[in-house]
Amino acid sequence: MTTAKTTNRKTTGKMTRRSALKLAAASAALPLVHIRSGRAAGKLSMAFWDHWVPSGNAVMQKQVDAWAAKNQVEVQVDFITSVGQKNILTIAAEAQAKTGHDMQAFPTWEVQNNAELLEPIDDVMKRLTDKYGPVNAVCDYLAKVKGHWMAVPTSSGTQYKGPCGRISVLKEKAGLDVVSMYPAKPGHTAASDAWTWDAHYTAAEACAKAGMPFAIGLGQTTDSVDTAGALFRAYGAELVDKDGNITVKSDKVRAVLEHGQKLVKVLPADAVSYDDASNNRALISGQSALVWNPPSAWAVAKRDAPKVAEDCWTFSAPSGPEGRFLPYLPYFWGVWSFSKNKTAAKELIEALLQREPVEARCTEVLGYDVPPFDSMLDFKVWEDVGPPKGTVYNYPIRPFHNAKAHIAALPAPPDIAVQIYNRGTMPTMLAKLKSGQSIDQVIAWANDELEGFAR
Amino acid sequence: MADGTSIPIGAIAPGKTAGRRGTMRKFAQRRSTIGFLLCLPLILLIAGFVIYPAFYAIYLSMLNKKMTAFVGLGNFAFLLQRHTFQLVIFQSCLFAITAVVLKAFIGFILAHLMHNIPGKNQRIWRGLLLVPWVIPLALSTLTWWWMFDPSYSAFNWVLNQFGLANVPWLGVGWIARFCTITVNVWFGTPFFMIMYLAALKSVPEQLYEAASIDGAGTMQKLFFVTLPMMRNIIAITVLFSLIVTFADFDIVRILTAGGPQDMTHVFATYAFQVGIQSGDIPLGASVSLFMFPILAFAAFFVLRGVTQRTKEIAT
Amino acid sequence: MSASATARRVAVAAERKHSLHRQRLWALWGSYIALGVFVFMFLVPPFYTLITSLKSSAEISAQTGSPWLVHHPTLDNFWYLITYPNFQTYYLNSVLVTILVVAVSMVISVLAAFSLSRMGFWGSQTLSTGVFLTYLIPPSLLFIPLFQIIGAIGLINNFWCLVLLYPTLAVPFCTWIMIGYFSSIPKELDEAALIDGAGYLQILWRIFIPVAMPGIIAATIFAFTVSWGAFLYPLAYLYTSNQMVLTVGIISDLIRGDVFQWGKIMAACLLASLPPIVIYAFLMDYYVAGLTAGATKG
Repeated sequence: MTTAKTTNRKTTGKMTRRSALKLAAASAALPLVHIRSGRAAGKLSMAFWDHWVPSGNAVMQKQVDAWAAKNQVEVQVDFITSVGQKNILTIAAEAQAKTGHDMQAFPTWEVQNNAELLEPIDDVMKRLTDKYGPVNAVCDYLAKVKGHWMAVPTSSGTQYKGPCGRISVLKEKAGLDVVSMYPAKPGHTAASDAWTWDAHYTAAEACAKAGMPFAIGLGQTTDSVDTAGALFRAYGAELVDKDGNITVKSDKVRAVLEHGQKLVKVLPADAVSYDDASNNRALISGQSALVWNPPSAWAVAKRDAPKVAEDCWTFSAPSGPEGRFLPYLPYFWGVWSFSKNKTAAKELIEALLQREPVEARCTEVLGYDVPPFDSMLDFKVWEDVGPPKGTVYNYPIRPFHNAKAHIAALPAPPDIAVQIYNRGTMPTMLAKLKSGQSIDQVIAWANDELEGFAR
Repeated sequence: MADGTSIPIGAIAPGKTAGRRGTMRKFAQRRSTIGFLLCLPLILLIAGFVIYPAFYAIYLSMLNKKMTAFVGLGNFAFLLQRHTFQLVIFQSCLFAITAVVLKAFIGFILAHLMHNIPGKNQRIWRGLLLVPWVIPLALSTLTWWWMFDPSYSAFNWVLNQFGLANVPWLGVGWIARFCTITVNVWFGTPFFMIMYLAALKSVPEQLYEAASIDGAGTMQKLFFVTLPMMRNIIAITVLFSLIVTFADFDIVRILTAGGPQDMTHVFATYAFQVGIQSGDIPLGASVSLFMFPILAFAAFFVLRGVTQRTKEIAT
Repeated sequence: MSASATARRVAVAAERKHSLHRQRLWALWGSYIALGVFVFMFLVPPFYTLITSLKSSAEISAQTGSPWLVHHPTLDNFWYLITYPNFQTYYLNSVLVTILVVAVSMVISVLAAFSLSRMGFWGSQTLSTGVFLTYLIPPSLLFIPLFQIIGAIGLINNFWCLVLLYPTLAVPFCTWIMIGYFSSIPKELDEAALIDGAGYLQILWRIFIPVAMPGIIAATIFAFTVSWGAFLYPLAYLYTSNQMVLTVGIISDLIRGDVFQWGKIMAACLLASLPPIVIYAFLMDYYVAGLTAGATKG
């Protein structure tokens, strides 16, 4: 706890008045062991992502309550939904008003957007990485600002968005045996090496012919953007490089668009209007052979269309000339610099990111939440969940997948990347191909659009 | 009318004798003080929650992205050069004007139909036609969205029954524009109907009788009696609706979120995407501010027309 | 001669009357049919809402048969919502907020309309025009700068902020209706009362408000509709379920991630539409009458 001292100096003055009495009361009532640092006292209000599995909230509440009781801190927990960008609005509200929760759950780009108002959290991050090993490069890119961690990558809400396909349909219509390609047991398979974007296209074409197209969206919401991002990255196609230069006029972009031109033809007619739920619905309604979505699609199918769910298998992304990249969408927990109780907030974050609580939460939500630390990608839940048993075994990146986590627009400077991402530039490029525009037109459009982002 | 043509009593009660002039002035003064006090809550409300934040928005719109430097009108100049934003301007105008014209037209027809049928039967019809206006818009838009959904579209099911192919309702630019406008018209028409019906009811029956005696036909009555009598109410309703439609957020946000390929974005949704989602609050504020001059222009002409007509009637 | 002429004239008149009558009848039936068509078109979405609210999730996703029919109707969705504590809270909050907003809006706009229609003061004419123009500055522009104001008065995530904000949406229109209505009240009435020594508030209370009741009801209903259905402000400023109102609460609670519980959403939509429908059903005549007098004269 010594590293925290310097950053805490400011808050202690404010805290003592309020917390002294409470501390006294607490120390009288409890054995001294519980007052570990003496700093983690007072009141805290935490905003977590509102999990789509309601019991995901309950288990979080339970863990927080346990910590609160142990540390004699009064913790108020709010779960804020990402529906309608409500969480982003709340973050904007708190940033503008400079008041609100002590800790917020920041989706993907919001750490960068609010970096000036966040408390550096290097101390917590150091202790966690010392214990559990490093986090992936995407987290680094999204939460490290000028060499400092402004927020801690968390598991709650963090997801991979690899393919989830219908076992029988892919086998019958496209001759693709996904279960033997990505079996629910450790070990590399030769078949998985042949799982390339070209193989993906061939399968998509065959399934589309059979009336079960791959439900890949070309809209502007995250599912569409993430899939397109993984495709672009697999071809090494960068729209903007890490120094902020527009690099859309390149052979690699051309190459990916050439692939895209084929691919979009076998996607559903309304792919351009897809939102994040459309692909789910296409899968559940039995109209699609494959979606790129985390296990929520499967989980909803399990509830509404159990026959479809039993036929689902999640596996890694196809590879391209530059490698295999899996869409990754992390959430971060950050402490506002205007928080009145930063120490306690940090301690709670640290406590919640220990292996046991992370695993408990992950199990509760059927493996949806992906832990930020590679060392935690071996929870038992991914082996157990079914039917079919092992359906999400390959949902987290396994060492033998030879895959890397990726977020669309990386490595562009984050303030440009956030716009590429949120405006859905990549899927829109594909959508324009679908509407019949030529590659040159699309590149020209993208170039113009990107100039507008480099403001 | 709200244009300030009503004449306060004070103006028509000048002092009758020299002796009373003093008390009259005091009286008038006291009256205006009370009058001001009665308006004070309104003034405070508008000043605090509309005028002040509006000026603050103007200030915000003149900052750079990180809100650290003042860039004057830079954001506006920047926006005007962007193709996407030009598209947004076009679409906002298209959306608002088409929707308002359709609403005004259908509302006018409905009001006439309603006026035709006996008063005692009107209630149930009015009630049924007002339903769209009564359901909270955000929720009814969800229903529409569900009916347009690619996999579950209930409309497509009907089309399929007639052997027609599926329509990608929200997937193709012009169809999606049509859909957003349809939902807005569906929601807003009842309001026009009710306002026009109210106006129709206030046209004195004698005028029609006089017109009949002069041998006027149905169309002539419509053009020479009904329309002139309703002009002010039509103008005000259209203005009100134009403003609300221009600023619409719910429908486009829920139905298409601006897609496909930005082809349904309007000012409010684009501002939200730029300002909130992409974390560029100054640019978002500039986008929303573009609404103001366009609407102020419309409002100026509409209200001037209303004032003139009211004066003509008054004199 | 005169007798036959009269007879002819009578006959012609009768014929004209008859044809007029027939014409009227045609017009009447035409009107009914046309109205029927419009009603049908207008009620398609609400009907679909109702149908979907009676289906289970499994039936919705199964897609067998017509989506316009219910094969296994169930009230589970409604029952779930009625017994769901969050939904009850949203409902209560919505009712509370709306009542307060309507009260605040009406007090503000009646006072202002009275003053603007009867008492001149410096700038009163500008104000009565200007009030309507506040609509030129819509919520979609204001919600970002309002973050700071709402934050400064400590009402972020507190439904009382809606009680302050919603009136800005309702008051200008209500004031406008009321100015129209008050202006139609003969000036002799209040002049007489003034001479009798009545105060202004007495005049307002004793004469204007009773006479202008239809206008007040119309304005009240408008304020009610606006505050019951507003979406952006609660979306921006409220985030916990204990403060949430219906419009945003339904969407944020029944849509989980990318999982939509359509049956429940539709049931919630119907339940949320109930109060406005009831109010319109009972007060419709006043609404029309109020608008007739308020909006058209003036």
